[in-house]
Amino acid sequence: MVRPMRRLCAVILAAASSLTLAASPKQVKEPEWLGEQMPLPLAVKTPEDLAFKASAERQYLIFNLLAGGKVAWDRGDYPLAVTRWEALLRLPNVPAELELQVRPLAKAAREQAPMSMPMALPAAPEGPTAATAVVSVPEVDASKQLVTVNGSVAGGGNNGPGGAVVILRRAEGTTPKPRPMRIRAVIQKDKRFIPHVLAVPLGATVEFRNDDEIFHNVFSLTPQNDFDLGLYKNGVSKEQTFLSPGPVHLLCNIHSSMSGYVFVSDSPWFTQADATGRFSLKGVPPGNYVAEVWHEWAAKSVKKTVRVIAGMEELQVSVDGDRRAPAFVPDKSGKPRQPQLGY
Amino acid sequence: MRQLAWVMVLLVTPAWAAEEEMVAVDEENAPNGYTPSEASLNEVLRFTGYLDVGFAKAFGNGSSFAANDTRVPADYGSDAFAPAVNSRGEVASTDSGGRFTNGFLPRSVGIGNRPSFLLNTASVDVRFTPKQVPLFVFVRAQAMPRFSPTGDATRFDLQQAFGKLTPFSAHEFALSLGKFDSVFGIEYLENEANLRTNITPSLIARYTTGHSLGLKVFYRFQLPALWSAVSFNLAGTNSGTRIEALVPASASLVGVPVGSGRIGYELNLKSVQVKLGVSGLYGARNDQTDPGALQQALAGDLRVQAFGFSLAGEVLRLNDARGPNGVKRTGAEGPSEIPSGFNVLGGWGRLAYTLPLTNEWLSGLTFYGRYDRRHGWFEGFTTLVTDRITAGFRLDLFEMLAIKAEYLFNREISGAPRVDNDVVTGSVVLTW
Repeated sequence: MVRPMRRLCAVILAAASSLTLAASPKQVKEPEWLGEQMPLPLAVKTPEDLAFKASAERQYLIFNLLAGGKVAWDRGDYPLAVTRWEALLRLPNVPAELELQVRPLAKAAREQAPMSMPMALPAAPEGPTAATAVVSVPEVDASKQLVTVNGSVAGGGNNGPGGAVVILRRAEGTTPKPRPMRIRAVIQKDKRFIPHVLAVPLGATVEFRNDDEIFHNVFSLTPQNDFDLGLYKNGVSKEQTFLSPGPVHLLCNIHSSMSGYVFVSDSPWFTQADATGRFSLKGVPPGNYVAEVWHEWAAKSVKKTVRVIAGMEELQVSVDGDRRAPAFVPDKSGKPRQPQLGY
Repeated sequence: MRQLAWVMVLLVTPAWAAEEEMVAVDEENAPNGYTPSEASLNEVLRFTGYLDVGFAKAFGNGSSFAANDTRVPADYGSDAFAPAVNSRGEVASTDSGGRFTNGFLPRSVGIGNRPSFLLNTASVDVRFTPKQVPLFVFVRAQAMPRFSPTGDATRFDLQQAFGKLTPFSAHEFALSLGKFDSVFGIEYLENEANLRTNITPSLIARYTTGHSLGLKVFYRFQLPALWSAVSFNLAGTNSGTRIEALVPASASLVGVPVGSGRIGYELNLKSVQVKLGVSGLYGARNDQTDPGALQQALAGDLRVQAFGFSLAGEVLRLNDARGPNGVKRTGAEGPSEIPSGFNVLGGWGRLAYTLPLTNEWLSGLTFYGRYDRRHGWFEGFTTLVTDRITAGFRLDLFEMLAIKAEYLFNREISGAPRVDNDVVTGSVVLTW
C-alpha cells in the first residue's frame, strides 16, 4: 500500500506545482501577437461595413499567417511556421506571387519540423496562376483529402438567391455535430437586423447588439428555438445560444417591420451564398452527402445528393421563391400586429 | 459475467463515441451572413387580405326586442347590438316588430333564428412602399355579400385609404393623412376577423372602432431606465369614432373636426408585457346641425400578456349633448326624429390562454372568456343595463387559417325585459 500512496502523492504534487506555475505571472512577457485579436474590432453598421470588414479581415489574416510564419521560423519554431504558412496556402484565391514565395518556405519549414507534423503542404496547383485554379476547380487538401465544394444557388424569386444556406450531411451514417462557437454580433441598426440572414453551427452563441439610438428587443417564436432577450438600449449586447437546428425567425417586439433569420446548422459543413448565389464550402471529407439548401423565400428547402470527390463539378441548386411573408407580424406573445399601424 | 460486462462495454462505447463526434467548423466556412440592400427588403406593392366565412344561430327571434315591450323608440329600450353574429358586430335581426326606432341600430344579416352560413367579409389590403421614400400607402377595401331579403343589402366599403410618412429613421414618428382606423381605445387594433382573438366585438365597440377622414400623428419615445415606452396617438377627423352603422356618411354635419387621441404606456419586460392607455374624444356631434351639441368620451384600457395568458380590457364613458329640436342623422336608415342626449358607461375584459403547443401546422390554440357590460341611457328614456358573457376558442393553422367558435350569453340586467337573444357563432378566416 505504501508504493501506490507515494505515487499518488507524487502525482498530486506534480499537478499542484504545474497549477502554481500556470497561475504565477510570467517573468518575461512575450509580445502579444497582433493576429490573435481576430475578429477585428471594426464597427459594422451597414452591409457595406460588413463587406469592408470581411475584406480587411482577409488581408489581416494573410498578413498574420505570412508574418507569423516568419517570426516562428526565426525563433526555430518550425511546426508553428509550417502551420502558419500552410494555412496561408490553403486560403482561397491566394495571390499567385505570394504563393510562389511562401510555398518553398513552407516546404523548408516542414523539412525542419519533426516527422510527426500531421499536415502536409497543399498540392501546388497546376496552370498559369493559382488564383485561376482556385476559382474554377474544387480544391483538394492532399493530406486530409478534404475537398472544397464550390457551387451556386439560383432562384429565390424577386429577392434573388443571396443568403441561401447550403448544408452538407453525410448520406450514410451519422453526420458529426459541429463544435459550438461564438459568433460575431448581429446588430440592430436603422430598424434592421444586420446581417439579415446568418448561418451558425448548432450550439453557437450569437451576440445581438443594439446600434440604434432607440430601444430594441430581439425575440423569436420559432418552435424549439424561441427566446426573448428583453428590451435593451444603444450599445448593449445580449447573447443567445441556439440549441435546435433549423431557421429561427428574428423579430423585434417594438418594431414590427424588423425581421431577420439565424439558420442553425446541425452539420459542421455549411456555408451561405453571396448576393449572386455563389458559395464555397471548404474542408469537406470526400464521400456521399445530401446537400440541403434553405432560402428565406422558399417554402421548402431543396435537397440533392452529392458525391464529394477531388475534381468534382460545381454544385448547382435552384430554390423557389414561393414563400410569401406572412400578412401580419406577431408580437412576442404571438398576437398579430398590423403593418399599417407600425406599432 | 465479467466477460459479458466487457462485451456490453465494448458494444456501448462505439455508439456513445459516435454520438459525441464533433467537428470544428472551418473558420472560413463560418459565414458573415447576408444582408440585402434596404430597398430590396420591402415589396413595393403587396396585396393581402382575408375571407371570413361564418356559421351562426341566434336564439329567440334573433333580435333583442321583446314582443311584449311596447315602448318606443324600440332601440332606446333594448340593446339592439347584443345578438352579434360575426366580427363586424352585425346582428341576426333588427326586426322591431313594427315598432318605431330612432336610428340606433346595427347592421343585420337578417337570419332571425335560422342557423345559417354567412359570407361575412371579403377584405383586400393594398400596401404600397415606394423605394427610397419614407412613405407607406395603405388601402383596405371590403365586400360584404348579403343574401337575406330581411337583412341589410350587399355592401362595399373603402374602409381605409391613407398615406403614412415616417420622416425620421431614428425616431418613431409617423404622420398619416386619409381615412384610417380610430385612435381611440384598443379594440380597433383587432377589429378585423383575422386579428381578433374572439369573433364578436364588445358591447362598446360601436363607439370606438369607426373610421374617419383626417390627419393622424403618432409618436413614441422610450424610457430606457424603466424598460418602457410612452406613445401618443392623436387625430383630427371629420367625424367621431363610431362605426359606420351609426355614422354612415362618415362626415360631420357641422363641418367641425373631432379631436381624439390616446396616450399609452407600455412596459416591456422579458416575460411580461403591460400596456396601459387613456383615450379621449371631443368635438361636435356628427349627427347634429348645431356645433354646440358636443360628443365627449373618455376611456381607459389595459393589456397584460405573460406566460401564455392575455388579459385585455377597456372602460368607456361617453356623453352626447342634446341637440336642437329637429332631425338628427344617426343610423343607416336616414334622418331620425329625436335628437336626445345620450350617455353610456361600459366596458369589457377578456382573459385568454394560448396553449404552448405549436408545430409545422398548428400555430396556436387559444381559449378565451370575455365579460362585457353596458349601462346606457337616452335622456328622457329608460336607463338600460345589459351584459354579456362570451366563451370560445380559436384554433390557428398553417399561419393562415383561423377557426373560431363562441357562445354569447346576452342578459338584460335592468331597464328591459329579459329576452332570449343568446348566440352561438363560428367563423373560419382564411388570410392570404
